Amino acid sequence: MAAVTLSNVVKRFGVYEIIHGANIDIADGEFVVFVGPSGCGKSTLLRMVAGLEDISGGEIAIGGKVMNDVEAAERGIAMVFQSYALYPHMTVEQNLSFGLRMNGNPKADTERRVKRAAEILCIDELMQRRPKQLSGGQRQRVAIGRAIVREPQVFLFDEPLSNLDAELRVQMRVEISRLHKELGVTMIYVTHDQTEAMTLADRIVVLKAGNVEQIGAPLDLYDDPANRFVAGFIGSPKMNFLAAKVVETGDGAATIELVNHAGARFKKPLQTTPPAVGADVVLGVRPEHFFDAGQGDCDISVKADVAEHLGSVSYVYADAGDTELIIEREASRHRASGDHLVVSIKAGKALLFDTKGARIR
Amino acid sequence: MRYQNATAYRFLAPYLLIFSVFWVWPIISSFLISFQATRTVPWRWAPTFNWGRLIGDPAFFNALKNTLLILVIQVPVMISLAIVMAVLLNSPLLKARGLYRFAFFAPVVVGEVAYSAVFRLMFNLNFGIINKLLNSVGLPSIDWFSNVTPAMALIMIAVTWRWAGYNAIILLAGLQSIPDDVYEAATLDRVSKVKQFFYITLPLLKPIIVFCAVLSIIGTMQLFTEPFLITERGGPGGGTETLGLLLYRQGFRSLNFGYASAVAYTMAGLAIAITLVQLWLTKEPK
Repeated sequence: MAAVTLSNVVKRFGVYEIIHGANIDIADGEFVVFVGPSGCGKSTLLRMVAGLEDISGGEIAIGGKVMNDVEAAERGIAMVFQSYALYPHMTVEQNLSFGLRMNGNPKADTERRVKRAAEILCIDELMQRRPKQLSGGQRQRVAIGRAIVREPQVFLFDEPLSNLDAELRVQMRVEISRLHKELGVTMIYVTHDQTEAMTLADRIVVLKAGNVEQIGAPLDLYDDPANRFVAGFIGSPKMNFLAAKVVETGDGAATIELVNHAGARFKKPLQTTPPAVGADVVLGVRPEHFFDAGQGDCDISVKADVAEHLGSVSYVYADAGDTELIIEREASRHRASGDHLVVSIKAGKALLFDTKGARIR
Repeated sequence: MRYQNATAYRFLAPYLLIFSVFWVWPIISSFLISFQATRTVPWRWAPTFNWGRLIGDPAFFNALKNTLLILVIQVPVMISLAIVMAVLLNSPLLKARGLYRFAFFAPVVVGEVAYSAVFRLMFNLNFGIINKLLNSVGLPSIDWFSNVTPAMALIMIAVTWRWAGYNAIILLAGLQSIPDDVYEAATLDRVSKVKQFFYITLPLLKPIIVFCAVLSIIGTMQLFTEPFLITERGGPGGGTETLGLLLYRQGFRSLNFGYASAVAYTMAGLAIAITLVQLWLTKEPK
């Protein structure tokens, strides 16, 4: 087990800088998820930790030792690839033991490690099969097993569930979470799926275009995002954003008026100096933070467009003039297209952002 | 449905006609000819005449021995060389990869007569560059064309030069189909590059290697150009005569088509037999 520290890590491909000075501290035994949209640099960052990509600037340390010039094989890490990267011509048993056999590990110890991994992942029955004779989920288990037998200091996962169907993905997510508890090893997991990030992580690192946007526990990111990008990326369905204006300030608060809902205004207490009167701002409201009419600080009227009934809740996609809102309703099973709906916003549950996306607290 | 089929066959008819006349019929005809004595006029039906002669013909066994010798030595050497070339071509460290790929493939494009003439000049006893190079490192000149062993070596060198690059390009396609992350996984498993080559690259390349080997076996069984043009019709003294050359000599110089047909069928039979044995030996477990 080991802590992982990334200090001002930069990655350049030719003249293009892909990672712009990432600083991330991962504690020993922690499960950290790198999340972000495609092309944000999360896989590149993981591959730099693994030693599969050179580091253009900064330092990566594992267990307190700087690894910049240490070969991938010597970093004490194991990686599970998106494509599984199993050796197609070897049986499951050979796949698991290959690395140990090639390095002259004692036979008895190799057998012990392979047996343990097989038991943990319930793949004992598959040992003589080849990868092409396995299902996607079984291949994924073998790939994880190959990482386990190495008994690494750090596990790296590069979008390991993205090739699985939805049901299997949920099942494997639970298994990976259980594996982390069982092994207690530091794990770094890359995904573009914020649900995976929220359910697996001790802490999430949100990346956008090579920059670390925010690091924190899943619910901290959900409840207290640092900016509009994190607010929009974390949470499913995503947060709604409404155009607004500051119409009055004073007493440590700002009065906000929604641009496309004349008269819809409320007072929002702020910890920092409020924006100037007349400044454009953006109001962020999560789908579950729309309340019944009259129960919040200001009501707005919207026209229901489409409703998705999921059983326990329904999501109403509504036209709110400038934007489409997603509203979570518990009792709207019969909501139909074209219905008018009045919902209420509570000042305490709404987040405020400036036009550049920075949070106004 | 039947009408539709008829229409399809009418469209196919020109091709099928040409295919039947110039492909199917010669195959059947040559098989029938192999059972006829063709040195008499008219040809007469003599089922054991050519096949009986084949079994006891020292020229046939000499050609068979030469062909198999080339097959056993040249094909493995060429395939091994092609694998090395393919791995080098696939290296990310290599600059101007396209140029090398073209250079490796170019010998196949060069005209057979031109390349044979150049080889004859290069290996000339008195002024060939090869003997000059041998002399420059203190080795004596070799008379490549007058002694059987050097002449056979020359044939093998020439065939290898011509076809190694071609096979390397096919193998390169195979190499490029092996995913990078398999090697990355092996690297993280602390497997050295050399072991990766022997335990990952070679096993995964096996189907392509078998394919190249089968092509080479068929090509070697039909080998004609090099012994005909470079060592002057299988010289010295039939020392480099191959089955292909024997067939030509019997069929088109002695006009003994019956015997030439028997030789042709023997060549095809041997190529099929060797290929089947090889496919069986390298069969993937289910």
